[in-house]
Amino acid sequence: MKESLMDIICCPMDKHDLDLEIDSQDDEEVLEGTLVCSECGERYPIEDGIPNLLPPDMRD
Amino acid sequence: MGVLENKARARLFYKYLSKVYDQVNPFIWNEEMRDEALELLDIQQDDRVLDIGCGTGFGTEGLLQYSDDVHGLDQSIHQMEKAWEKFGKNDQVRFYRGDAERLPFRDDSFDVVWSSGSIEYWPNPVDALEEIRRVVKPGNKVLIVGPDYPKSGLFQKMADAIMLFYDEEEADRMFEAAGFVDIEHHIQQRQPGSPRAITTVARAPEE
Repeated sequence: MKESLMDIICCPMDKHDLDLEIDSQDDEEVLEGTLVCSECGERYPIEDGIPNLLPPDMRD
Repeated sequence: MGVLENKARARLFYKYLSKVYDQVNPFIWNEEMRDEALELLDIQQDDRVLDIGCGTGFGTEGLLQYSDDVHGLDQSIHQMEKAWEKFGKNDQVRFYRGDAERLPFRDDSFDVVWSSGSIEYWPNPVDALEEIRRVVKPGNKVLIVGPDYPKSGLFQKMADAIMLFYDEEEADRMFEAAGFVDIEHHIQQRQPGSPRAITTVARAPEE
């Protein structure tokens, strides 16, 4: 996931801003990390570069 | 209420469907129909375009002919794996896992929103359409392809049993309820006797 996408993504539940916690990155590509809702605190994983922004009730 | 109007079941169904999807799909929705639908939009090269329910990437591939900034969202990892084989995981397309009814995007983020072959699996299509209207820029167009409700026969039995199908009247009702304007429908069919697709183009109202 490119860091620039922070400008368009938001929490799917309450639409508030997300904070990005980076675990590993390759140039501008975030490979592993977590997106955290600044309002409700819900955490959304970034797995192998793909943000998993499924609402928590729909996760595998 | 059809069997697939349950998201967990839809995901399981997709897991198996994705294995054969690109072989089965062309009987209903082929490249020619996709390209015809793409011409209904006026996509510019720098437009940010969202493909909802991008699945194996059949629609995504068409969108890439027009725009360099294509984003694909799907709930199913199994479907998207096919798309990643075509376009790379972090290369030509920005991919997300997400739910059509609860989009993880800010208001007015996209110039164009496209969705083909996905609406029939949305439990509450009007909720998803409202979300689509929220994320597309005011005054801009969206295009949704779904299965036209079959008038008779085997397809109708399948339609009633499995998926959400709709006719033009029902499509008008859904798009109006979601707040769209300038709603138009195009019926597309591969050949006489094959299932028909209903392609709706609508516009988010100006602010």
